[in-house]
Amino acid sequence: MKASQLQSGENARILSITEGPHARRLAEMGCVPGSTIKMAYAAPAGDPIAFEMDGNLLGLRKEEADYLEVEMM
Amino acid sequence: MLENPNKHIALLGNPNCGKSTLFNRLTGLRQRTSNLPGTTVEKKQGIWATGNLKYTLTDLPGIYSLYTANDDEKVVVSHLLNPVEKRKPEAILFLLNAHSLRRNLLLFTQVAELGIPMVVALTMSDTASRNGKKIDAVKLSTILQVPVIEVNPRKGTGIPDLEHAILQAAIPTINLASESNIHSRLADFHTGKTVPGLHAETLGRYTWIEPVVKEVVSAKSWTRASLTLRMDKLLTHKIYGFIFFAFLMLTIFQGVFTLAEYPMQWIETGFGYLSQWVHHQLADGFLTRMLADGLIPGIAGVVVFVPQIAILFFFIGLLEDSGYMVRASFITDKLMRKVGLNGRSVIPLMGGFACAIPSIMATRSIRNKSERLLTMFITPLMSCSARLPVYVLLVSLAVPAGSRFGPVGLQSLVMTLAYFSGIILAAIIARLFILFRKPGEVSEFILEMPPYQAPRLQNVITHVWHKSRSFVVEAGKIIVLISVILWVLSSYGPGNSMELAESDVYRTHEKTIMPDGKRPSHDELQAYVASARLEASYAGRLGKFIEPAIQPLGYDWKTGIALISSFAAREVFVGTMNTLFLNSPDGEVIAIREKMQKAENPDTGKPRYGVPYALSLMMFYAFALQCMSTMAVMKRETGTWKWPLLQFFLFGAIAWLAAFAVYRISVAFV
Repeated sequence: MKASQLQSGENARILSITEGPHARRLAEMGCVPGSTIKMAYAAPAGDPIAFEMDGNLLGLRKEEADYLEVEMM
Repeated sequence: MLENPNKHIALLGNPNCGKSTLFNRLTGLRQRTSNLPGTTVEKKQGIWATGNLKYTLTDLPGIYSLYTANDDEKVVVSHLLNPVEKRKPEAILFLLNAHSLRRNLLLFTQVAELGIPMVVALTMSDTASRNGKKIDAVKLSTILQVPVIEVNPRKGTGIPDLEHAILQAAIPTINLASESNIHSRLADFHTGKTVPGLHAETLGRYTWIEPVVKEVVSAKSWTRASLTLRMDKLLTHKIYGFIFFAFLMLTIFQGVFTLAEYPMQWIETGFGYLSQWVHHQLADGFLTRMLADGLIPGIAGVVVFVPQIAILFFFIGLLEDSGYMVRASFITDKLMRKVGLNGRSVIPLMGGFACAIPSIMATRSIRNKSERLLTMFITPLMSCSARLPVYVLLVSLAVPAGSRFGPVGLQSLVMTLAYFSGIILAAIIARLFILFRKPGEVSEFILEMPPYQAPRLQNVITHVWHKSRSFVVEAGKIIVLISVILWVLSSYGPGNSMELAESDVYRTHEKTIMPDGKRPSHDELQAYVASARLEASYAGRLGKFIEPAIQPLGYDWKTGIALISSFAAREVFVGTMNTLFLNSPDGEVIAIREKMQKAENPDTGKPRYGVPYALSLMMFYAFALQCMSTMAVMKRETGTWKWPLLQFFLFGAIAWLAAFAVYRISVAFV
């Protein structure tokens, strides 16, 4: 599944990053295969979404979170 | 080992690692800001004095990776690599945030390969350990092969150790760049060449980083974000979040709009006294008048913006430092994206309703270059506080007080329409701007949301100081120059035309009897003289010269003069009309409105300054870039005259067409 499909409070492990314009930037921010993320909350319009990673919050637009292929934990 | 410590040190790290706080802590107020060559990125330099040693410390922009094609990263790379004298640092003071060690180490491994001696300052390790995350700094130092010092920039702990460690700066021997070395890869990347395997390189670096983090970090339970998460539940809530945001905007708006008025008045009065004093002290002559009536008011015209700039940046500093600013972008991003902007554009655009000058300066936090440019471009279309006096005069001409449209007062309705027309044009231009975007350029949000913290007053004050100073020093020069030119234009005429106009007034008024049966008083005579002189001046001639161009909009040469002189500041329009309509200088809007209402058009017998005139001119002021200070700030912030000139002519053309349409339509209906 994609990270953008996670519901609030759900934990997931990143499996892979889809090739594309945001891929490297996401990796630079620490979203690399193997790391775990938790969907924290979404903005009022449901987009962007804030994810918890290593105890820090990272805000991603839906289209950016679509680049992260994850599995639920 | 740093052989000669009287040298340059670069301060580098991720955003939100406490870098600015450490910089302020180490240098105090001994710092200077300037634009880094060829960019609009600010370079902050300061002197770090430790005992009898002194270093020049350069605060580089906070970045996540050297491989990003934004200005910030370009600046960092060129600062670290270019062997240009005085710019190449002899050592790097690198900040690692204990809370996000993994991500921070990515940049470290990139910088480590540049062959520059480094020292690491480990920040936030005390709050991390309080939250159950302990970091072994000694082990980290062994792995990274550089001194690692735990520092708390907010409290100032660890600074003495840092002073000692900087003498032991060492070159790490980590090498993770694939095939070729990082120097050539970086050079290729930042000259636009494609560098193969960048993504793989990043992943490879993380493969090295993961075990390092496991080795040095012992985490029990990880609870740091809990308070922040609870606050975010409220502050990003679809109802409470927006209520809080609206409340905050209103407070800032009130601050810039209302609070700034007092110091602005003091500044104007103070400089007014200074002008008078100069007149008293020096013999009358061109130079004295130039100084007292041209230069001093010109400088006053610059200083008068400082309260608004200071107040806006005080609030912005509080919002940035506390961590709220990112949340404001977060909740507004979706909406702003619809017109090609991003959440970071919200504050500058809102600020534009008070004054475009500090707002344009506030766009620096927008990382995406074209989104920043677009925000700056459309900010002047928000009706600023200087347009208000003009709107008030014109609305009172167009709409009789007390008339209503349903439950709404017609005057306030027309006023609201003027504000909205600016917003609508801004949205249209923003949509069109997207079409010109370079192909391949992607809009990006990806944003770290730091935990909330109490803002540090020192950071905020330093921020306010630098913004105000750079405005006065850099944009100020242009503003003073133009206002002196405007003064010459309105105070001098070709040959002895001014003197002729003046003596004409005295001769014709020798026999004048005022409506009350008396001879004109001294003040009344002075008003006639001022009016006649302005008409005879270069500005007056220019007003008459442009009359054919503005006649289709329903304006006469008097309006032309007022348009030209209000380029100094829009509200000057009212004052100039005042002078031209023979009011005493302190005449109120009522008086000038009555005079304008009575004036008749000799050709049609209808009122000269009727409803069509007022509506058309409101339209013109809503759109046209009638403000030299905005242009000066645009020049400074974009580094070129291209953008302010494009704004001037584009908005001017749109204003002309819109005013023409409004005039024609209302002539047909009224």
